[in-house]
Amino acid sequence: MATLEIKNLHVSVADEEANQPKEILKGVNLLMRTGEIHAIMGPNGTGKSTLSETIMGQPAYQVTQGDILLDGESILEMPVDERARRGLFLAMQYPAEIQGVTNAEFLRAAMNARRTEANQIGVMEFLTTLDHNLALLNMDEAMIERYLNEGFSGGEKKRNEILQLLMIKPAFALLDEIDSGLDIDALQVVSKGVNSLRGDQFGALIITHYQRLLKYIVPDVVHIMMDGRIVKTGGAELAKQLENEGYAGLRDEFNLSVDLMDEN
Amino acid sequence: MEITPEFRSRLITMAKQNKEPDWFIKQRLQALQQVVQLNKPVIQRFKYQNWDLTPLTEFIPLTTAGAFSTDNASPSALNPRLIQFESTTIRVTLPTELLSQGVIVCDLMTALHQYGDLVAKYWGQALKDNSDQLTKYNEALVNNGIFIYVPEEVNSKQVLQLELKSNSKHEQQPFISRVLIVTQANSRLNIMQHQITSGTQVNLANCVVEVVAAENSRVEFTALDEMAAQTLTYLQRQAVVGPNARVNWSIGLFNYGDTVANFNTNLMGQGSSSEAKVVAISAQKQRLGINTGVTNGGQHTEGRIAQRGILLDNSELVFNGIGHILHGASGAKAEQENRVLMMSNQAHGNANPMLLIDENDVVAGHAASVGQVDQQQLYYLMSRGIDEETAKRMVIRGFLGTILSELDNKSVRKQFSETIERKLTNGY
Repeated sequence: MATLEIKNLHVSVADEEANQPKEILKGVNLLMRTGEIHAIMGPNGTGKSTLSETIMGQPAYQVTQGDILLDGESILEMPVDERARRGLFLAMQYPAEIQGVTNAEFLRAAMNARRTEANQIGVMEFLTTLDHNLALLNMDEAMIERYLNEGFSGGEKKRNEILQLLMIKPAFALLDEIDSGLDIDALQVVSKGVNSLRGDQFGALIITHYQRLLKYIVPDVVHIMMDGRIVKTGGAELAKQLENEGYAGLRDEFNLSVDLMDEN
Repeated sequence: MEITPEFRSRLITMAKQNKEPDWFIKQRLQALQQVVQLNKPVIQRFKYQNWDLTPLTEFIPLTTAGAFSTDNASPSALNPRLIQFESTTIRVTLPTELLSQGVIVCDLMTALHQYGDLVAKYWGQALKDNSDQLTKYNEALVNNGIFIYVPEEVNSKQVLQLELKSNSKHEQQPFISRVLIVTQANSRLNIMQHQITSGTQVNLANCVVEVVAAENSRVEFTALDEMAAQTLTYLQRQAVVGPNARVNWSIGLFNYGDTVANFNTNLMGQGSSSEAKVVAISAQKQRLGINTGVTNGGQHTEGRIAQRGILLDNSELVFNGIGHILHGASGAKAEQENRVLMMSNQAHGNANPMLLIDENDVVAGHAASVGQVDQQQLYYLMSRGIDEETAKRMVIRGFLGTILSELDNKSVRKQFSETIERKLTNGY
């Protein structure tokens, strides 16, 4: 069993207008184990994406206090690629497009990055796994020879993120707004992909604004995040409660002075 | 700069000893005179006036053809090939099939002796508009050359490989080469030129290729330039293209030393076309200035220029794309795209599209960019566990990829990739 622990995490980004750092996360605490699916819900601008990007190691985010521990070891000093090889995966909201590099060679490079020189993945093993996962995600084989995300529709990009997730099989997946812009078909397919990984060796942190995705990927734990902190933690039923009452209800319950961009 | 009488008389003596035809010697002397009168070609936004590209102290004669073996009798499965070291042709391999169809592949000296009339007819045709010092210098002092002639209706499918190696084991061994290629009507030729330096002494290279493509012929010219860091190089590749003919260039400019390059295609025949793809990498303190032009002279001609450059360290790389549509070339198309990617803050890059249009009924377009490695792309690749160096390499390969993936020949593509990989890793 692997663990991912966030301890009193404070994170700032450079605020270009004010020309000084702006604090976004104001003391986040979270403990995840493989075998568990966690969801973080919260209104826009509350720091959900900042949390996932900081865990992954995006250089724009500065940790000013606290720690992130993977299996008890701090990863704050590790570069992005090392964190990934240690078992973290971030399915991004806006994946980059890279011309000239095919999906297939990218996937192989990512898988081989986790293996030793002597133990690089064989062609047959790669293709068998790939075919299996393509079928699972209803993806066209032609996508594999296309350049990485280039000219992909929003839905294709999301599926491609999940394809990478299935191929790489990380210990912990951070899924950032993986449901945004997906039609019902795509949402079901993406959920099927994530659910297929469920088990002792896999944990996920699902970041979402809406409860919609959580009907398909039922979480074990739901956290509500507001104003840079986790304000409430509960089971799957918390998501449903939120849908009924909205964030405004919660804000009032906790007496938070938060501006909600979308009062729902 | 002046021409000493000794230098001039030595040139005449050696040329006569070599039994060069009179017209050729006369042309040498005329050109020599012009070297001191003319200026270097202009490469916009690239200063190289202080480069000593026209030393008039040493003269190395063309070597006669005695020292090489032809392998004409080989089965046609063998790739046609010509290997030269300095001014000596070491080997010519030409399948009997092509030989029997009248294809000529030989060194310039042999050509002047055996096919003098043909050479005289086409010599300089593609360079008519190039009255500059460096072209004339080449004409005056050429000491290495190749003549290639493909008769009408001959389809030379296999890639003809030209291996040129300059000798820099000693100083004052300038490598001044001229490759003349003539393709007659309805013929087809596929060429790969590979230029390298042997030795580490400081030397000059002035390498000119001219292509004369007759009606409806097709030439695919691929070049891989890898002259050494101590070689100061002037490269010129020019083509004049007849009606409905097509000349395509795929040039990998991976020299390690300072280089100016002047590539141009004249689409004179109606319906002629050309695509010029140039990939270049500059490293360390290297300076590269590259002009790539297509001139639309005939009606319904189509030209496309695509240039991609990578800059490392403190290097400088300037890409000029020059699309020139002449008056009367109605229905012409001129497209160009020039892009450079800076891998270092100390590098200095430029991508300048220039469109000169003297006709109304045309289509022309251009794109240019100078940029750094996209941090978002790097982050994305690294977030999948790929280390920074590999990720950078992938982004670069992606940047060059659109050009590389269009190289038809698989082994050529591999050669390009390996050279790029080497230059990115070592820088020299």
